[in-house]
Amino acid sequence: MRRIIITGAANRLGSVLAQDLLADPAVELVAALDTRAPDLPAGDRLVHIDADLRSPDLARALIGLRADALVHTDVLQFPEPGRSARTLHDTNVVGTLGLLAAAEALPELRTLVVRGSAAIYGSEPNAPAFFTEDMARRFVLRTRWQRDVSESEKLVEAFARRRPAVACTTLRFQPILGRTLDTPIMRLLRSPIVPTWLGFDPMVQVVHGDDAVAAMIAALDAGVRGPVNVAARDTISLSRVLRRLGKTSLPLAPGLFGPLLGAGARLGLPRMDEDTARFLRYGRGVDTTRMEQELRFAPVLSTLGTIELVAMAIEEAAA
Amino acid sequence: MRLPRLPGWGPIPLAAGPREDRWGYDPDFAESVQPWLDFMYRRWWRVTTTGVQRLPAEGPALIVANHAGVVPWDASMMATGIRRAEGPAYRHPRFLVLDWAFSLPWASVGIRRFGGVPASPHNALALLQEGHRVMVFPEGAKGVGKPYSRRYQLERFGRGGFVELALRAGAPIVPCAVVGSEEIYPKLGELPFVARLTGAPYFPVTPTFPLLGPFGAIPLPSRWRIEFDDPIDLTGLPPDAAEDRAQVFELAEDVRRRIQAKVYANLVEREGAFR
Repeated sequence: MRRIIITGAANRLGSVLAQDLLADPAVELVAALDTRAPDLPAGDRLVHIDADLRSPDLARALIGLRADALVHTDVLQFPEPGRSARTLHDTNVVGTLGLLAAAEALPELRTLVVRGSAAIYGSEPNAPAFFTEDMARRFVLRTRWQRDVSESEKLVEAFARRRPAVACTTLRFQPILGRTLDTPIMRLLRSPIVPTWLGFDPMVQVVHGDDAVAAMIAALDAGVRGPVNVAARDTISLSRVLRRLGKTSLPLAPGLFGPLLGAGARLGLPRMDEDTARFLRYGRGVDTTRMEQELRFAPVLSTLGTIELVAMAIEEAAA
Repeated sequence: MRLPRLPGWGPIPLAAGPREDRWGYDPDFAESVQPWLDFMYRRWWRVTTTGVQRLPAEGPALIVANHAGVVPWDASMMATGIRRAEGPAYRHPRFLVLDWAFSLPWASVGIRRFGGVPASPHNALALLQEGHRVMVFPEGAKGVGKPYSRRYQLERFGRGGFVELALRAGAPIVPCAVVGSEEIYPKLGELPFVARLTGAPYFPVTPTFPLLGPFGAIPLPSRWRIEFDDPIDLTGLPPDAAEDRAQVFELAEDVRRRIQAKVYANLVEREGAFR
């Protein structure tokens, strides 16, 4: 019988994960840890813990749960109105720090699964076509999000050293797409015109939201130690993605890309963060051997299939 | 969006086609540029290719060649030579390209769709393990960027990384000599400050470039010869041979000597660069 704590349970991915876990009779308890109320059907196997990850009383709130697994999904990628870049750093890094400090006080804990990001590899012109897990920080960490991801991975590594009994897995997700998700890339794909870099057509690789959740569940069972890339196996050109979605691309010369998007954001177009901008220029691919062999997980949807689904969802929404 | 159609030649697709693989190689694109490459091969450089039958018909192979000519046309001409000799049995080789090229607009996309990948040992190893033919140029930027006065003198072969790759992948090494590429842009000097401004590995000065502006980018019509030598089978070596620095270095030096000898032999047979 499993007792599992989920942070960020009010996020889209966190709540789907909680629902999927509750559907499994072997799960005795799901503790949804979030300052917002999760949108989940109430039940006797679900408890909501309204606590901030940075609060010093967190350990006291968690210790009575006798949890054996902890899934940390409360990492935020992009700033929004009312959620500044500094708040982001606070939730991501200091939140992870606080959570791991509290986790040290949980004697029954055996599994820790942390949502990381393949952004840790960066998007670089001279990158290997497929990054393996040992290639993190091979390139300079250019963006705030990359530095946050890298720092929280270091915190997890330190925790893993201190608590060898706990199997700590960091899942490095490629961009997660899904009809209900609201991420920078999904916003981009929903907007009528997609800005691209003139003369560039990168290879992109994504993972569907359902597969991302399934990967987290697989990580709860597999108990793999260290980072694991999570992505569909195939990569495709951005031009094919946009053609399938029927989007008009707006190629911008490299010198104009930043300024024009800045002006566009003031006019109400979706603001593009630096990670997404670099991803659109150079793309990124990751090697999925470790995911397939150690996590023993294979995504249902390929990158192409994910794009197909997203395209259908967008067409449906428009109709 | 498509480029205007030239008489007799098909359009070059600007967007990737459905047959693109996970490395970004797009057979439709490669076929669409083939008429241009055939023109350069047959009419412009009058290339003679020998020894294609020595390439293994199946499985991986690491084709190692000398690198020259400021702008590396050699990979595309080697591929065209193999294609013309093999006919329907042709397997498109992949090739490693200097990283810097992938930061350039258009060039990066064109190179990738034609089968080029950034020069990283991880890429080469994965391609070999998938059973591809992979072309490498161990001289790298030192080879392409060397001055005209040092033509046909092979530079150091890096650290012998290509031997390690062949050993790890269990692929034979096929040495290849390319003659003619040195004369296409005779490099007389460089402008290092322009190179620094653009981040390029070097900024060449040739008799026509930058003097004639974009026309200086037209390569001179030298006569080319390409020869593939007998494959070197490494499968007899123990699996830990890739860790043995001395052995790797020795093998790399051996391959370099063989290519150098073939380069000299083909220079003699060519009888004149522009004839």
